[in-house]
Amino acid sequence: MVNTEQTMHACPACGLLCDDISADTIAKQQFSCGKAAKFYARSTSLNVQPQVNGQAVSLAQAVKAAAELLQQAQSPLIAGSSTDVHGARALVSLANQNGADMTHLNADSTLRNMKVLQHRGWQTTTLTEVRNRADVILMIGTDVVTHNARFFERVVWVDEAMFTEPSARQIIYLGGDKLKTQAGVSPDGRAPQMIACASEHLPEVVSALRALIMNKPVAGENIAGVPVSTLAALAETLKAAKYATLVWVSKDLHFEHAELTIENITETVVALNQKSRAMGLSLGGSDGDTSVNYAHTWLNGVIIDAPHWQDHDAVVWVNSFSPEAMPPAEVSPVIVLGAADSKFTTPPAVFIPVATPGLDTGGQQFRVDGSVTLPLTAAKPSDVPTLSKVVALIEQAIANEGKQA
Amino acid sequence: MITLLKNARVIDPAHHKDGVLEDIYIRDGRIIAKPAETEKIDQAHELNGKIVMAGAIDMHSHIGGGKVNIARMLLPEYQDMRRMQEPEAHICGANCSHHATPNTTDTGMRYIEMGYTAAFEPAILAVNARQAHMEMGDTPMIDKGGYAMLGNDDYLLRLLSQNADQKTINDYVAWTLHATQTIGIKVVNPGGISAFKFNERRQDLDQQHSHYHITPRRILQALSRAVNDLGIAKPLHVHCNNLGVAGNFQTTLDTMGASDGLPMHLTHIQFHSYGTEGDKKFSSAAANIAEAINQNKHITADVGQILFGQTVTASGDNMMQHLNAKVANPKKSVIMDIECDAGCGVVPFKYRDENYVNALQWAIGLEVFLSVDDPWRVFLTTDHPNGAPFTTYPHLIRLLMDKSFRNDAFDKLNLDAQAMSNLKALDREYTLYEIATMTRSAPAKLIGLQDRGHLGVGAAADITVYTDQPDKEAMFSKPDLVFKDGELVVKEGKVIKVVWGATHTAKPAFDLGVEKDIKQYFDRYHTMQMQHFKISNDHIAEDGRNHVINHVQGA
Repeated sequence: MVNTEQTMHACPACGLLCDDISADTIAKQQFSCGKAAKFYARSTSLNVQPQVNGQAVSLAQAVKAAAELLQQAQSPLIAGSSTDVHGARALVSLANQNGADMTHLNADSTLRNMKVLQHRGWQTTTLTEVRNRADVILMIGTDVVTHNARFFERVVWVDEAMFTEPSARQIIYLGGDKLKTQAGVSPDGRAPQMIACASEHLPEVVSALRALIMNKPVAGENIAGVPVSTLAALAETLKAAKYATLVWVSKDLHFEHAELTIENITETVVALNQKSRAMGLSLGGSDGDTSVNYAHTWLNGVIIDAPHWQDHDAVVWVNSFSPEAMPPAEVSPVIVLGAADSKFTTPPAVFIPVATPGLDTGGQQFRVDGSVTLPLTAAKPSDVPTLSKVVALIEQAIANEGKQA
Repeated sequence: MITLLKNARVIDPAHHKDGVLEDIYIRDGRIIAKPAETEKIDQAHELNGKIVMAGAIDMHSHIGGGKVNIARMLLPEYQDMRRMQEPEAHICGANCSHHATPNTTDTGMRYIEMGYTAAFEPAILAVNARQAHMEMGDTPMIDKGGYAMLGNDDYLLRLLSQNADQKTINDYVAWTLHATQTIGIKVVNPGGISAFKFNERRQDLDQQHSHYHITPRRILQALSRAVNDLGIAKPLHVHCNNLGVAGNFQTTLDTMGASDGLPMHLTHIQFHSYGTEGDKKFSSAAANIAEAINQNKHITADVGQILFGQTVTASGDNMMQHLNAKVANPKKSVIMDIECDAGCGVVPFKYRDENYVNALQWAIGLEVFLSVDDPWRVFLTTDHPNGAPFTTYPHLIRLLMDKSFRNDAFDKLNLDAQAMSNLKALDREYTLYEIATMTRSAPAKLIGLQDRGHLGVGAAADITVYTDQPDKEAMFSKPDLVFKDGELVVKEGKVIKVVWGATHTAKPAFDLGVEKDIKQYFDRYHTMQMQHFKISNDHIAEDGRNHVINHVQGA
């Protein structure tokens, strides 16, 4: 089949992967999202040379230096891992060759969710279901838009939905800090419901909500300042909904043992689904975190690790979608296979510029809801080598070295 | 380069050969006629009468895609560390997965070691097809392919509720095959996955869908008609309504009539062969089901045998998996609604021979195998990993071929279950010819792989060599040699060379005009562009390992 329509790009700047970005939008810089604007404003075809210890070298010299460092290392770590599925495959392969552990920039927030999944599982939904079904959307400890700026534009306040009236949706914010709630105002000016409580009190409040949904008694009149009657009314609203959607963003739940609060959210959904319909929706996501964790899982059978920086004597750092990101300062040596516009305060041992998927080159990326994968297309094609290509060169150099030894 | 397999005892049901002593010649990955005397034989294998069959084809095995990967994530306790040997170590990390949730490398390696050269993912959510192909692309050694799920997607249900004509449905079905790079169409709990999203908990065959006011029977009619009209070889792959429910055999029997005599394949029929007799209101209806299969020549079925032990069930049927989640072991599960397209449910299970229901499930599957007369119409599956991991196939083959082995196993079952099964009265023992039929010739014919599953001239040289021995489990666990596309890749049950296989597809002709409405639907209701839903051949081939083999339909 041939695609005859005008090519639209999918934007990998956050987990939402909005795929309605036209060349015109990019040329005119007309974005309704700051992250997209920043992403497409990047200049990566800068003719940046590979570097060894801050000195420009040829690609072959940089590959040789990277291979030598990896061979010398007893326990290398592959980190950052800000890339797409193809990059993830390459990194898993490099990890296998060198006995390296593998982690990701967002390992903390990813693993917070994974703990819940591996303990109890969950019941979740995806963006198109929410767009067409959700009549009540409860956001817990998050405004979503800080992470996914166009969530309300693309999923909530849409023109049409198959099974509900979009403009009549009930939006409720439960807890959180410094929320931007303007996006929750309906097109006809209806304000969302706010149930205020600081993030640090969400554990008690969410667990009370779950208890109320399960028809268990909740003692007292207030939970961390939230009237129990308010929570009881919320519970009734959720039970009466045709398709209640409970949204959380793992990155926003960064207090200690936040996984227990996430589990209370997901178990609230499980309880609701005994009689009515509800689903969880975990949003946020960036830097290909879903892609890397998923590809790592099917290739290795297990999810990614948390970084244990002190256990490693060399780090391969990939920062395609976050050129400013670097590992903790005390880690060395660092081999950066990164964006051409990477920012360094101190030069890494090796720096090899690689193509950023969705900007310099194509690729494939998972959306934050996990079931949808989209092709990434080169918005500003360049001849910077892909991560897969550079990794293959390094692997080859190591293999050749191994044969000579 | 010519490879010779000398003195092969050929079992090739597609050519009615049952132990014929022959020489087989291979060139450029294909079986060729005996070459001229002047041509050089580069590699000769003296087989001395060893059994030679085509590579086996698993026509229903969950090897890739969202739910399989969720199962891996959900169950870290299924993983352990293992020291890999070359060449496997070359592509695989130190983790070895429990065979219920193998990683992609493990999947390919374990299949080829048993002499399987192809496996088909039977439940590809159209919207998730890209992921499924990525995982299958990372599965070495074997060929792959998949069946796209329709029948709970709002696009089709809208068409049916608006009384769309059959041509429109046909075009949409063909468009889906193209867009998802699949070779067949599957329907899971027709209408039921959708109904669950409207808070329905059961969907019967003739019960109207609460929103669309159409019945599952209508969905089955429309889809089986479309598959037939388009000339797609693979009959509609049907996972019936009411999976796992006591008394569901009646739904299954009624479903056989839903296609008005057009071909249909009823999958993992063991899970749909339950009666309500006895104190526990759960009984075997295998005899009724087998009799109906024997009589209805348009019906084929795979069994979905359960075998005892720990596994995980991964299904598109979130309606029924939501009920099953109550008996999850370990106690955790994932239930998802997905993109107005489908759903999924992942529930770990431990089947125990002391458990009445599990023991009877085991017996029911074997009763079906032994009571269906025609091995061309019943297929050897465990619905991997739902009934058991695919690595149990050699054990299952022995159960079918060895009556005393089977009866010894039966004697260990829950006593109440024993009392409810006639398994011991079934004397049948499958022959090697029948096993070759149900694992080679028949699946290739069913799926429409003209050049696989047999050993005729022109066939792809996917070939397995076994030493015949009384213990059939041992025999089928460890072939002497396996050739993939003419290359020797397994010796003495161990992989000696890594290859990557291909992806088989069906792309029937259709009226591209249908895309106008589909695009409008995407624009109005979806969260992605239609153009991004479609998967190109280039995407399948990305990273250089995989490629598409398309099979012309309606030939």
